[in-house]
This record gives sequence, C-alpha cells and structure tokens, in this order.
Amino acid sequence: MELLDYDVVVLGSGIAGLTAAIHASRRSKGALSIAVVSKLHVMRSHSVAAEGGISGVLYPEVNKDSQKLHAYDTIKGSDYLADQDAVEVLVKKAPDEIRFLDHIGVPWNRREEGMIEQRAFGGMSVPRTAFAADKTGFFMMRSLYDELLSYKNIDIFNEHFATSLIRDGNGIHGFVAFDLADREIKAFRSKSLILATGGASRVYSLTTNSYSNTGDGTAMAFRTGLPLKDMEFVQFHPTALVPSGILITEAARGEGGYLRNANGERFMEKYAKSKMELAPRDIVSRAIITEIREGRGLRDHESGLEYVHLDLRHLDSKKIDEKLPMIKEITMKMLNIDPSKSPIPIRPATHFTMGGVHTDIDGRVMRNGSKHIDGLWAAGECACVSVHGANRLGSNSLSQCSVWGRITGIGAAENASRRKPSTSRFRKIAEHEEKMILDIADREGSLSPYKIRDSLHKVMDEHLYVYRNMKGMKLAQKRIGELRKRMDDIYVADKGKVYNTNLRDTFEIMNLLDLSWIITESAIRRHESRGAHVVAEYPKRDDKRWMKHTIATKSIGGIHFSYIPVKIMGWQPTERKY
Amino acid sequence: MRASRLTIFIYASIIGVPLLLILMVAGLLANNAYAYTVLPILLSLALILFGVTGIFDVFVHPKYPGSKNRISEGTHGENKEAPKARSGKEINFVLRRFNSETRKFDRTTYKTRATDRTTILGALLDIKDYQDNTVSVRCNCRMGICGSCGMVVNGKPVLACETSVLNVAENGAVEVAPMLGHPLLKDMVDDFDDFFERHKSVEPHLYRKDVKEKYAAKSEYKQSKDELDKFLPYSYCIMCGLCLDACPVVNSNPNFIGPQALSQTYRYYADSRDQRGKKRLFDADTMDGAWGCEFSGSCSKACPKGVDPASAIQLLKGDLMKSLPEK
Repeated sequence: MELLDYDVVVLGSGIAGLTAAIHASRRSKGALSIAVVSKLHVMRSHSVAAEGGISGVLYPEVNKDSQKLHAYDTIKGSDYLADQDAVEVLVKKAPDEIRFLDHIGVPWNRREEGMIEQRAFGGMSVPRTAFAADKTGFFMMRSLYDELLSYKNIDIFNEHFATSLIRDGNGIHGFVAFDLADREIKAFRSKSLILATGGASRVYSLTTNSYSNTGDGTAMAFRTGLPLKDMEFVQFHPTALVPSGILITEAARGEGGYLRNANGERFMEKYAKSKMELAPRDIVSRAIITEIREGRGLRDHESGLEYVHLDLRHLDSKKIDEKLPMIKEITMKMLNIDPSKSPIPIRPATHFTMGGVHTDIDGRVMRNGSKHIDGLWAAGECACVSVHGANRLGSNSLSQCSVWGRITGIGAAENASRRKPSTSRFRKIAEHEEKMILDIADREGSLSPYKIRDSLHKVMDEHLYVYRNMKGMKLAQKRIGELRKRMDDIYVADKGKVYNTNLRDTFEIMNLLDLSWIITESAIRRHESRGAHVVAEYPKRDDKRWMKHTIATKSIGGIHFSYIPVKIMGWQPTERKY
Repeated sequence: MRASRLTIFIYASIIGVPLLLILMVAGLLANNAYAYTVLPILLSLALILFGVTGIFDVFVHPKYPGSKNRISEGTHGENKEAPKARSGKEINFVLRRFNSETRKFDRTTYKTRATDRTTILGALLDIKDYQDNTVSVRCNCRMGICGSCGMVVNGKPVLACETSVLNVAENGAVEVAPMLGHPLLKDMVDDFDDFFERHKSVEPHLYRKDVKEKYAAKSEYKQSKDELDKFLPYSYCIMCGLCLDACPVVNSNPNFIGPQALSQTYRYYADSRDQRGKKRLFDADTMDGAWGCEFSGSCSKACPKGVDPASAIQLLKGDLMKSLPEK
C-alpha cells in the first residue's frame, strides 16, 4: 500500500471541490501541498450537467433586487427549514462568486451593454440567475478546471475511488482509495480533508443525475460515526425527460415554457396561481404527480412511465437556440423531438439531496450536535450547511457550491498550516481498510450486486417518491434491511486489476444501501409534511413540533436520531403560498 | 444461480438411463417379466421425483464447491435470466475488447434488444449489468456533456451516450471498439493522461496582470456579444478525445500537439478578457504546433459538440501570418 502525504486533500472534483482546491492553494501562497482526488476524470464530475444557472444579486437597481429579497425567497422556498444565518452568507457571497467565475473565463450570456444577463427561476421573485446558455455547470467546471491547472502545488488524482475515511478519536486523518487504472490501494494522509463528493440521487432509478452520484462521501462520513442532517429531504425535479430522466432545465420554464396535462390544460393554475410554472420544485412536482394520479397524464408504452408535457412551441425558435441550445440538442438526439414543433414528455425525477454531512456555517464537519471533528470540511451537495432546508430553489446549488467551496478551501488551508500530521495508528487503520477492499474484491457469493441495486431502486421509487405514506415507508424499511443483509452473499465477477468497474460499482451499491436506509429511517420519523417531504398521514407542516433538523448518527446495529433547532434570524415562518 | 429443473432432469437422466438399461438387459437375460414391466415404470417415477425435489441440486448449484456450474468469468448464472422483458429489435453487439493482460483485442458478441431510444451506452451498460459484469466502459452523465464515453462504433468515433443503436446498426449488428488514438487501458477504456498533458501545456486559463483583482472581483469584465461569439464555439470542448483519435497527423507524428489543445489555445487567445496577448499565438508557432496541422478536417467532423478545431487552427495560422513582422 502506497502512503501519500498532503497538507490539504480535496475528495471530489465538482464545482465545490475544484473551487476549494483553488482557494486553498491561493491562500497558502503555494506553500502547502494539495491534492484533488476524484473517482472520475476531474473535469467530468456531475456538476457539468448543471444547466440553468447560478443565483446571486448582481444588479440590485436594474433588477429591483436585494440580498434581503434573495434570502427571503430562499427561506420561504426551504419551507422555513433553512438556517437563516447560513442563507445570509449565501446571498452575501454569491455575487462575488459569479464575478470570480467571470474572471476565470465563464462565457456568461450578456446584455447589450456587456453586463451579465440574468433570467427568471422557480421561487425567485425577480430574475437573478446568471447563466451561460443552458450549460452553466459545464462552463463553470471547465473554467475552474483550467484555472486549477495553473497552480503548481495542486496534484490531481484522476479515477481513484475512496472507500473509507481514517478516523482516530476526534480527528480525521485521511482516507483509503484504490486507483481504478490498476487497483493499487493508496492511503492519503491529510492535515485537512475537504469532502466534496456530491449528492446521492442514484438511490432512485429515475434521476436527472450522472451515474457517479452515489453519495460516497456522505456514506463514508456516516460509517465513521459522523452525523448526517435532514436526509429525508430529497428533491424531485419536475421536468426530467421520459424515459431516460435526463434533466430538462427549469430555465425552459424561466424562459416562458408551459406545463400541460393530457387535456392540454396549463394545470399549474390550480396549484400556484401567482407563480404558475415557476413555483418551487416541490410544489410543481406534486402538481404533476397529482395530475397523473387523477388520470390527466399520458403514458409512455415502452417504459410504462406516465408523464405530462413541457410545451415550448410558443417560444421564439431563436430564443431556444440562444438560451436553451442543449435542451434542443438533447430532445433531438434522444427522442427526435424538436421542442419548437412538439411538446416534450417529462415527469419528476430525483435531482438533489438536501440533506448531507452535518456542517457548521464555515463548512466544518460536526461530530455531534455542537462540537466539530478535527481536520474535516464538507462543501457542495454532500454537505448540509442548511441553506436549502426542506426544498432547494433552482440555481441556489451552484452558488452554494461556489460559496462554500471557497470558505472550506480557505479554512482547510489555514488549519493545515497549524495542524500536526497524524499519529502512528494511521497506518494500522489503513492496512485494515486495505484488507476490507481485497475481501470485497474476492467475494464469490451467489447474488449479483446489480440485481440488489435494481431491487433497491424499486423500493425507493415506489415508497419514497414525491408522495409518501407510513405504510409504504415501513415496507421500504423492511425491504432495505433485507437487501442490506443480502449484500453479504454477493459475487464480484471481475477479478481483474485494470479498470475494474465491477468492483467500484459494488462499493457504490453498498453506499446506496446505507444512504437509502438513512433516508427511509429519517423520513419515517418526521411526522409532518414540509417542502419535499410529504406524508399522507401528516399532511400539514407542524412548526410547533417539527421546526428542527434531523440528526442521524450511526449506533451499534442501527441509527441514533436526535434533533437540533433551526436558526432563525428574523424571518418568522408563515404559510407558504405561491 | 439456481439450476433449472430441466438441467436437473438431464443430470438425473445421465445416471438413471444407463442404470435402467443395465437392469432391463439383466432382467431380459434372466427372463424375468418385471424387467420390462414394473422396473421401467418405477425408474421413470424415481427420475421425476428427483427432478421435482431437486435432490441433484448438489451437483449443479454454484454454492456447492464441487459444482461444475460454479461461477466462472463471463457466465453468471443469475445473469442468464433476461434483465427486463424488453421490447425492440434483437441486436448483435460485437465488442472489440482490449485485453489488458495479453495487450490484444478479444472479439465477443452479446445479444441484446434495442428500441429507437436505446443508446449505445445504454446497451453496453445493460450487457455489463446483466450479461457480463467484466465489461468495462467509462461513462458518467449519459447526456453528452461530461465527455467520458468516446468510442468507435462501426468504425466511426462517437459519444456512446448520444448515439442511437438502431441508427447505426447494420444487418442487425453493431461493432464497438475503443478509440485507438490514445493508449489503451481495458475494453472500451482509454488512458487519458497524455491527452490531459497536451491540454495543460497550452496554459489554458485566463491570464490577468492584476491577479489580486481576479480573486476579489468587484465588478465583471464587460464583454460585448461580438466579443463573446469570437471564442464561444471553442469553449464547448468537453475533452472527450474524439478529435485526437480522428486526427491523421497525431496518429503518425505523436509530437504534434493535436487539435484539442490548439482549439483551446485559440479559445483563450480570442477571449477579450485574456491579457496574455500574442504570446499564446507565438507559442503555437512551431512545426508541432499550429503548423503541424495538415487540414484534413477529421477533427471537426469527429467533434460531437461542433467545436471545429480545424477552423481554430486555421485562425491561429492566419493571425500568425499577420503578426510576422512583429515577431
């Protein structure tokens, strides 16, 4: 086993990870050794699939906007579960990040005067989403990657799959990973480690997310005894392409697209009269499922999926080419549909994990309700700093990744110049982990891990989707327990060392099983309907009992649950209407 | 895996039938009437009983170490069952798999079904998940933006995730191979280290004299639509490596830096926000730089995102010609 020593290691290479690495390097003035470790080629992380844009108040006078209004929209959108101090940080720092991205090369769409153009987005009172066509995430990723290459003290480790964190007492000292190219096992020892491993939408089968979004960092943190927060809140994006689940950006509605049911009616009128199609995602997703349930959906015979239509036919085709070119490219290539001639078949699909590793406002990972663990930060979708609460607003994710990417990068760099390298126990723990990896690689049981994954998808799709009920969730709880046991009897067919994706997939599936277990257990305990979590038996939001964050920590044989209060800075909860 | 009852019956028969014949012959020789009346009936009943109770599972279940059907590479009992009842046309998928040990290609054919919405990537993953877990493919976003899944399908370099199986199938067959313009790792997977080094060597980032301001931006750099359009098409590069695979020059002269890197030289050179100026241009002024290009145009044809590296290289050459006196 190879041992690699770094001052700062960033695990994950999406927008949060790359931003963190750049700022850690800059803060250290080239003095610290920094590594970016990714299970993908670093420029291929799921952030490239972000389409619509990044939120931030750039021109308060021109757009009649303010940071206060952005904060209010975000808090209301979160169904009052967001920590309001964290939201204040987000709205204050987001504009700087958009300008920084401009300075490293993002080709923003511009207005005539050369200023950055902003578009309307769901749940936002005014247009405040900056965008580069409908490939915003892609352009941000490419610019960040290119900028990263200019730093000499950053080493890149492409295609290294991390399996577990190394914890000794109250400190994190690194992690163990294997190189996909030759299955060499390596222990990365860090003074500061930043988790930026993304969300876990792949616990469901129909998702807008890339194959890689298996919540590896979140699962690893949980297994090492660190608390996860608000995992029951999973966002379903209203407009995912049927049958593949590929994302059709909210910007399609921001630019004026309509949602229509089988009768051709713009049904959002019934659910959100003032915001219509631009209501927040939880509301639009529920509206679509309600229409389908009540028989006003359409049916795709090949996949059996029911759907409604996203109608862009009334939009100027020049507008589509300029502002939604990728949507056109995707629908043409995947379904042979020209959006200016035919409506697009869409339905809600898993999109974002609101919950994640419990961090404080500086992105430091907590080890219990009030104390943090030494040497570990988390940023981006894998973290829950609580800016999104029970429902994230579109385009707030890219700002969150950028803002906390920078905060954690700087924090980690400052810590690394102070902290001493870890203890002698490091190697022992790493060697134990190495054995575990090899044990899994040698498995010769009787079950296919892919079959177990398929069974898990079925359970999650059916029982933890847009509408939930206690009976269904309890069934899911039981099924997931069985599936977790079945993993003991799997086989890993590929015994090769070179680019063994079978082995990687097996670890990912184990992570998915852990996370779906936590999602289900957290959801069963929240006896109210808030944001993306809606339970038939408890149809109302219950601020008196449930205005609090769920904290899930691993305990012997199960999960220990506790709750911490939501931070209120002046926005009192009121009824959420659009 | 669980052996089917039919297999068990066959196994039982292999033992049962000779036994039956021996008994019958012995009976006939002794001229015993039971030999051709009761014995055959009894043995038939016994065979059926063995088959139904699965007594012979011992010989065929993979969990028993002695079993002949014990899982071995390539054939996984459970995988034999069709994954989902899928509609569509049956397609023969011929994979030219690169074997990392022998450093040679193995041709393996898999049968799968495809409808008009099945992509090459979708079919490959289906084969991997349900027929042969050892197949390796690099992929991520499955929507043509991450650049992972460049491969050669029926001789053409394409992104597997946005290529429809039925559009490219010929006589019900599709041949998939890895790109040969990069070093190979395994199956359809190429090694990109060299490709990334080429990209990095052109210093692909916005250069600003005031670095402090770059990191603490108070306002954006203004940029007109015309200025944006100059570099925008070249910023679509997803680094999939297909252009390099298609380029005849790189494939005969590995020192030629290649279309991807040169397109990125032009992308930053043409961005009004960049302050590197003509240095980028002069860096490309070598026989293995812009002048290495023989303008076959294969790169632009192969690019799945319409980047047109060939035009970027010609623009570099044009600007170099104009800048000659300065140099």
